Amino acid sequence: MKAIIAATILGIVMMFAGLQMKNKSSVVTLAIVLAFLLLGVNIWDLVATPATAPVGYFNNMLRIDRYALWFSTLMTGVTVLYTLLVGKEIQKVGVHVAEYFALIFFILCGVYILSCYNNMLMLFLGIEILSIPQYILAGSDKKNLKSSEASLKYFLMGAFSTGILLMGITLLYGATGSFNIVAYSFLQSDALNPLALGGVIFVMIALGFKVSAAPMHMWTPDVYDGSPTPFTAYMATVVKASAFFAFIRLFQVSFGSISSQWTVVLSVITAATLLIGNLTAVFQQSVKRMLSYSSIAQAGFMLFAVLAVNAVAWQGIIIYAVAYSIATIGIFTVLMKLKDYTYDGFNGLAKKEPLLAFVTTIFLFSLAGIPLTGGFMAKYYVIQAVMVQNQFLWLVIFGLLMAAISVYYYFRVIIAMYFKEGNAELHAPVTQGEKVLLVITCGLVILIGIFPQLLLSWI
Amino acid sequence: MTQLVYLIPLFPLIGFLINGLGWRTIPKTAAGIIGSLAILASFVVSVGIFFEVNSPSFHGPVLVHLFDFIQTGKLYIPFTFQVDALSTLFLLIITGVGFLIHVYSTSYMHHDEGMVKYFAFLNLFVFSMLLLVLGANYLVMFIGWEGVGLCSYLLIGFWFKNRDYTNAAKKAFVMNRIGDLGFLVGMMMILFNYGTLSYGEFFGKLGTVPGALGENTYNWIAVCLFIGAIGKSAQIPLYTWLPDAMAGPTPVSALIHAATMVTAGIYMIARSSVLYNLAPFTLHIVAIIGLATAIFAATVAIKQYDIKKVLAYSTVSQLGFMFLALGVGAYTTAVFHVMTHAFFKALLFLGSGSVIHAMGGEQDIRLMGGLGKKMRITQITFLIGCLAISGIPGFSGFFSKDEILAATYAHDPILYYMALAAAMMTAFYMFRLYFLTFTGKFRGTHDQEHHLHESPSAMTIPLIVLAILSVVGGYVGLPAVISEHHALASYLSPVVSNAGEHHMAAGTEWLLMGLSSGLSVVMIIYAFTANKVPSFVPNTGLAKLLENKWYVDEIYDAVIVRPLAALSGLLDKFVEKSGIDGIVNGVGKGVRYGSDRIRMLQTGQVGFYIFVMVLGIVALFAITFFGVKL
Amino acid sequence: MPILPLHYMFLSLTLFCIGIMGVLIRRNAIIIFMCVELMLNAVNLLMVAFSKMYVDAGAQVFVFFIMVVAAAEVAVGLAVIVMMYRKVHSVDVNILNRLKH
Repeated sequence: MKAIIAATILGIVMMFAGLQMKNKSSVVTLAIVLAFLLLGVNIWDLVATPATAPVGYFNNMLRIDRYALWFSTLMTGVTVLYTLLVGKEIQKVGVHVAEYFALIFFILCGVYILSCYNNMLMLFLGIEILSIPQYILAGSDKKNLKSSEASLKYFLMGAFSTGILLMGITLLYGATGSFNIVAYSFLQSDALNPLALGGVIFVMIALGFKVSAAPMHMWTPDVYDGSPTPFTAYMATVVKASAFFAFIRLFQVSFGSISSQWTVVLSVITAATLLIGNLTAVFQQSVKRMLSYSSIAQAGFMLFAVLAVNAVAWQGIIIYAVAYSIATIGIFTVLMKLKDYTYDGFNGLAKKEPLLAFVTTIFLFSLAGIPLTGGFMAKYYVIQAVMVQNQFLWLVIFGLLMAAISVYYYFRVIIAMYFKEGNAELHAPVTQGEKVLLVITCGLVILIGIFPQLLLSWI
Repeated sequence: MTQLVYLIPLFPLIGFLINGLGWRTIPKTAAGIIGSLAILASFVVSVGIFFEVNSPSFHGPVLVHLFDFIQTGKLYIPFTFQVDALSTLFLLIITGVGFLIHVYSTSYMHHDEGMVKYFAFLNLFVFSMLLLVLGANYLVMFIGWEGVGLCSYLLIGFWFKNRDYTNAAKKAFVMNRIGDLGFLVGMMMILFNYGTLSYGEFFGKLGTVPGALGENTYNWIAVCLFIGAIGKSAQIPLYTWLPDAMAGPTPVSALIHAATMVTAGIYMIARSSVLYNLAPFTLHIVAIIGLATAIFAATVAIKQYDIKKVLAYSTVSQLGFMFLALGVGAYTTAVFHVMTHAFFKALLFLGSGSVIHAMGGEQDIRLMGGLGKKMRITQITFLIGCLAISGIPGFSGFFSKDEILAATYAHDPILYYMALAAAMMTAFYMFRLYFLTFTGKFRGTHDQEHHLHESPSAMTIPLIVLAILSVVGGYVGLPAVISEHHALASYLSPVVSNAGEHHMAAGTEWLLMGLSSGLSVVMIIYAFTANKVPSFVPNTGLAKLLENKWYVDEIYDAVIVRPLAALSGLLDKFVEKSGIDGIVNGVGKGVRYGSDRIRMLQTGQVGFYIFVMVLGIVALFAITFFGVKL
Repeated sequence: MPILPLHYMFLSLTLFCIGIMGVLIRRNAIIIFMCVELMLNAVNLLMVAFSKMYVDAGAQVFVFFIMVVAAAEVAVGLAVIVMMYRKVHSVDVNILNRLKH
């Protein structure tokens, strides 16, 4: 709860700082300091809250338990890493640097609410707090028509999905007379009100939209491609991960008892997401666009965790969220250094900046799920979760096939960097500090790959 | 001593880190010394462990727990090493042969600018390989499995400026990934049915805990693991990467693509022998695929002109023999052949490296000849390698190959005759290689002739050591008719032993031995005459006899060699180039085509996007309300 | 004839579907946005009807939240549309196709 308040206040502080501070780089420094502060508040929350008893707020509309606290802390940690790595690039997007950071803090507020909501109202508010700042961030590069287009597309489709979400919530309310997510867990599979089932499907579709699951994924490539790259990096990682956390929270706590009713549909969605994400990524020429398709593909794997209603799935989603976010932020950081976002832009990077090429390779390994990187462990946990469930073996095999395809487009980048002749042009030379940060990020990816237990030790 | 086992992979890891992090600053010589010393240290520890494991007071496998790897709910996978007779034997092979090849590389790679990187990769490879054999559960094995695949990829494409080489590297990686998929699914099925990946627990539960699919569970798991082995150990239909993998530096071919990595599949199956004994159907498949590969690769090898390609196909063929041994239940024998093969094939590859070195990079044997005069040590050691692989009595290959043939005969005489044919072809193509390279007149350019020289001692000493090992390595497993005591089998017996020990009459066994070695000698002599080059080999008596019977040669040529050669060429051209390669490329094309089509769905129109979403909603509702229910 | 909750449901589902059709058919960004608002209002209507049915004020509070959030969305959305209009002098969504494939 302290974190929610702190995120809001720090967001407002950031906005006022924008009025006072004229120097862009000092704004960035302030944002980094505030992000660390927020991380501190989160850790304080984590330490101060007893491990056994969850705390309820607002008439139990928020229910802060261990998973919620730990997830919020991890996402704040990722955000700190993000501000450190990408802060400099945000300066280049436009003039209102402080506002961008303020919006990121507001998004974090949404992340916190989504990690601990216990009531559909809070789910709705959390989703909106998460989304509305993104519409603005997507269009923040005002000179660029693509950015505006991305913003408008995202906004129109996002508003549409809000309508779907609300319809789902209303139908669930009509069937049960309550907004409390625990109340839904008393639904019985054999005597299920069609209203409730309709509500579940609507909510699934709306949340599927937020996590870019097929066939609600169509916005993703365009929005990720059109948005300014620093914000794409944030949308594709923290925002998506927390939408997933909300997804799994609702579907495990509330709809776990009627899982036989919706797992078939979700398995179809998962298969479609994996297929479309991986297959379409193969043909892309721009690495940025490839990464947005790859984020759809990764969402397909994260859906495995939602599909498996058990404890391993929770652990899987946490590991996946962190491993995927760190690797993706890392690779976007490298991408932003380059002038040319196509595959050819990476040609010969290994010769020019061997360290940059090396860390990119590790990040790509992680995304492809090569062992000893975090991505492998993440995939392992979510697949394990489904295997324990003793269903959907076909989906697991399909997922592994698709992972094999993903190797193709991830390795194209590696091949371009190491085996092709070329002169990868950079915007500016990479500073020593950035290199150290990238190496630390890379170390984190490998650390998660070897000791995934570290991420679960606080639950 | 066994508790120190973690040191064995640690040394190569340190070597990798030093060379890998300092690849710009470390001088070449230092990198070679660091890399070699790391492996030597591992070898010393391995020898110490070997003596402890071999002592009578050693009981059962020792598990060395390093840390907890995965702990979720009921699932618990520790990162544990298992020290027992099987893993220790592989430790010795990997670190011993690995050390010799490192020493060899210090000289062979000395002119290459990427030498430091090379040693870093090589140490990383040894590290991964050690993880593979040391792991006490399938997951640790899988990590090593992927690690060696990665190193193989990096080293095949080591000279990355050549496009063909990087393509070869990609091919190897993709083929291996296909196999890995099988391994992964097999692992999942083990986990799903038995809730564990540890060897001890899994084998303990086998036979007592029924799987979800009843009796078929064993076969399914065994087949999936075998698919992994097919990829890694280059069997039909996934073998094509191995000949292409010869694009890497020659010592890499010796270490990775002959002596160690490609035998990982054999190790895995020998390790899982308890499972395979329960899956007779799968064993049958293993035997058939092994035999088919052995014959097929041997026929192709006959028509190859690249010195390394001949050796590569010969490796594929020998791996086929090992799988044949596994398939007939002779696990110990397969491991025995892994060991002897590691010695003589490493020797042959290093010898060919020495030749290529002297020829200034030329690999075509048609342009060699008469090298023996200038490179006596290489020639003699290469000859020993050829004798060993051909199964001439007294050399190591004889003992292990003969054991395979005997076990096959006991299993099914028809398989035996086919295996015998493959063994004969082995003798033929190896000596064809030998005669064309080392005897006769030099057929290269004048410059090359002038340049010919014996390699420096850093290269010849490993050759000599390996040659000695190729001779004496077989005496740990004497045939039953000679000695009752089979040292290797009794050493390995706590871990694996041959299933259904068939005791043949002594007469039969003598006969089989005589038949195979006699035929090998005939093939060697035939190779000598067929290649029409004068030779200093003293035993011309038999050869003269053949020369006098010219028409036999002609008939041989018309009846056996020409059709064989034609078949070999045909197989090379159609089955390999268009058939198997075609399928692999076809899948790739299919994916790209599908990608291009699906991509067009992304029209850029918001209205269309929402339309698709609404269609999706309708479809999902239809599935929910009218579709299948679980 | 008494008006039952079922009638409200049909009414609001009809409104909701009209909203969806509007979003699908129209090309003007502002009209599309108004159709989305129509969907939201269909939801509001249904909420209130259910609230009456269960005699529970919770849903009515929810409706207020929907209105507030919708207002916030309007603020952002109209700004985005205006920004777009300034550049291309049109609010037709069909000309938005620089990002595709």
